[in-house]
Amino acid sequence: MPDVLAVPAEPAGGGSWAIETRGLAKRFGSNVAVNGVDLRIPRGCAFGYLGPNGAGKTTLIRVLLGLTRADAGTMSLLGYPVPSHRDQALARVGAIVDEPRFHAHLTGRQNLQVLAAAREPAARTRIDASLERVGILHRADDRVSKYSMGMRQRLGVAACLIGDPELLILDEPMNGLDPAGMHEMRDMIRSLVAEGRTVVLSSHLLDEVQRTCDAVAIVDRGQVIRQGPISELLAGTSVVLQVDCSEPDRARGLLAGLGATISVEAGGLAITLPAGTREVTAEVARVLVAGGISVYRLQPLQASLETWFLQVTSRLGDPQ
Amino acid sequence: MTTVHDAGASPVTLKSKRDRRGSPLPTGAMIATRFMELRLRRGLMITLVLVTVGLPTVFLGVRLLLHALVPKTYGPAGGYDIYTAMSAGVLYTFGFIVASTLGCTAGSVDLSEGMFRHLVITGRSRLALYLARIPAGLAIICSLVAIGFTIVCAVCVFAAPAKLSYNGVAVPSGLSQSGLEDWAAQHPTEVLCSFYYDGQPSQGVGCDNPPGQPARIVVAGPDRQQPVPATASQARAAAVEIARQNYPDYKKQFRYPSNSLMVKTGLWLELEAVIGFVVGLGLGSLLGQRTTAVMLMIVLEIILTPIAIRTRIPHFINGQRGIVGVATAHLEPGQLPLAFGGGGHDFRVTESTTTAVCVILAWLIGWTALGAWRMITRDA
Repeated sequence: MPDVLAVPAEPAGGGSWAIETRGLAKRFGSNVAVNGVDLRIPRGCAFGYLGPNGAGKTTLIRVLLGLTRADAGTMSLLGYPVPSHRDQALARVGAIVDEPRFHAHLTGRQNLQVLAAAREPAARTRIDASLERVGILHRADDRVSKYSMGMRQRLGVAACLIGDPELLILDEPMNGLDPAGMHEMRDMIRSLVAEGRTVVLSSHLLDEVQRTCDAVAIVDRGQVIRQGPISELLAGTSVVLQVDCSEPDRARGLLAGLGATISVEAGGLAITLPAGTREVTAEVARVLVAGGISVYRLQPLQASLETWFLQVTSRLGDPQ
Repeated sequence: MTTVHDAGASPVTLKSKRDRRGSPLPTGAMIATRFMELRLRRGLMITLVLVTVGLPTVFLGVRLLLHALVPKTYGPAGGYDIYTAMSAGVLYTFGFIVASTLGCTAGSVDLSEGMFRHLVITGRSRLALYLARIPAGLAIICSLVAIGFTIVCAVCVFAAPAKLSYNGVAVPSGLSQSGLEDWAAQHPTEVLCSFYYDGQPSQGVGCDNPPGQPARIVVAGPDRQQPVPATASQARAAAVEIARQNYPDYKKQFRYPSNSLMVKTGLWLELEAVIGFVVGLGLGSLLGQRTTAVMLMIVLEIILTPIAIRTRIPHFINGQRGIVGVATAHLEPGQLPLAFGGGGHDFRVTESTTTAVCVILAWLIGWTALGAWRMITRDA
């Protein structure tokens, strides 16, 4: 089997960013789908690109890939400015945009042959390995019309891999996958990153993004409103301290002086605290014990990416 | 936090100089896979084969069978007349329609089936993606037209009648004028009773063929009332005169098509198929969907072209000449019946061969440019 997915020793283009945009804009009539996006995605990481429906995620991807033209701004892929060096940039890029669709009357292998023919000659030698990697080699000679949604999704990833891409852009790659398939996809993305590739993941499945990606950007109303490593972004978020105790109502009164938001739940309290909770947690424990309340459990819960996402996007108010 | 990169990107050359995906020329592999993609469209291919190969095969096969079973009732399957009807009638019109159907399909399915986006993402030149469809589609449609036409030629030559039937009389084919006159002198009754002639033969010699009685050659009697049997020399002289009059028409009649006519007709049919495919490809790409494009192509071939050929539209005669069907009809081999002929009209748009060639080239280049432009500028 050829060394189908070997990562090149050197980046294809110059620069240290896999994707870089400045002031990128795209309008459809009066609707501004991409509004002055400045984005830098480092090489060799899994990067999540998140946003509510209609936020402009797919439009940005389409602009980056040359599927539609930008109205303003500059961009580069793997160091190549696009669209001026689009062919050179896309030579090392694989992408799924929206739902992956193929010629239904052809087999999976034949569809990849069509795509490989449009790439470099070596792409044809990578077809079987790509199909094997995404787990559909045994169905490679079935017509795509007989494929499930999940299999088409895998075929879409295989179509990306035949180009031995340095950068993969996957738009909702988990769509249609069963739990096991999602697990496999997550492992595959991590393995691609481990090989030195860059994977940009656009998804609504925030839990999957949190498990898979190293960094994220949040886009809303065509603008990138947050960007950075997940750990850094979540570090500044509030923490919910779950307290399992006797006499929750009296405990609430004792803790009123903390200045935190406290709600009574079944079997205890939920205290929402700002970031940096170690000392506050200790203070809660001291106050409750001093008040004669039995504390059975005291657990700080870090806000999830989903909670943070909802906080920062316009769906829950001021995005800033 | 949104970040801005200050340094400009600096492109370097591609690692492989063999990778010329920005070139507008398609590779052999692209053409081959495009051919595969079209060839494996089962419904489309069945339709194409049925029309280009199946139609003449079934028609001629039935004629062969009937002639073999009941030769006195059903004439030979082949022959010149069958050849002209099948080539200038069936293959010319239907060949164009199926070629344009294939072209419209090739021009629109990538978009409608979602593959266009995948192909664009490869970084391959969109022009190359478009141009790859032309040789792939032509390889299919030209082969099918060639197979259908070869069947027509084979049957029309090898199952041609033994003798030329001219006005219902078995006449040797390929005679010179003197040869036909000699033959007429030997068969005055057949000539005088079956051949058409203008006016009246000299000396008033004619055919008397009352119902239920054998035909006889007569001449007006001395009193100009009762015809009397003509002498042999009178009959021969009259037959020779009629043969001379019929020779211009006779020399256009053949038992089967000549080799040069078959070659010319084959090239003409292939030209029509090429035009149908290329125009259909451009139209399909321009519209982005197949059904409307195919309907428009059928309207062009079945309605607009016959009207443009046979109708005098005041102040629009040059517009009529600009229709590709008028131009291809002009290039039709002379021994075939006029394309879209009949109908009892005596008017037909005429144009020079140079004009016809220019019109055809303009259509081929123009529709290719339009289709390619739309593919290059279309959002994927």
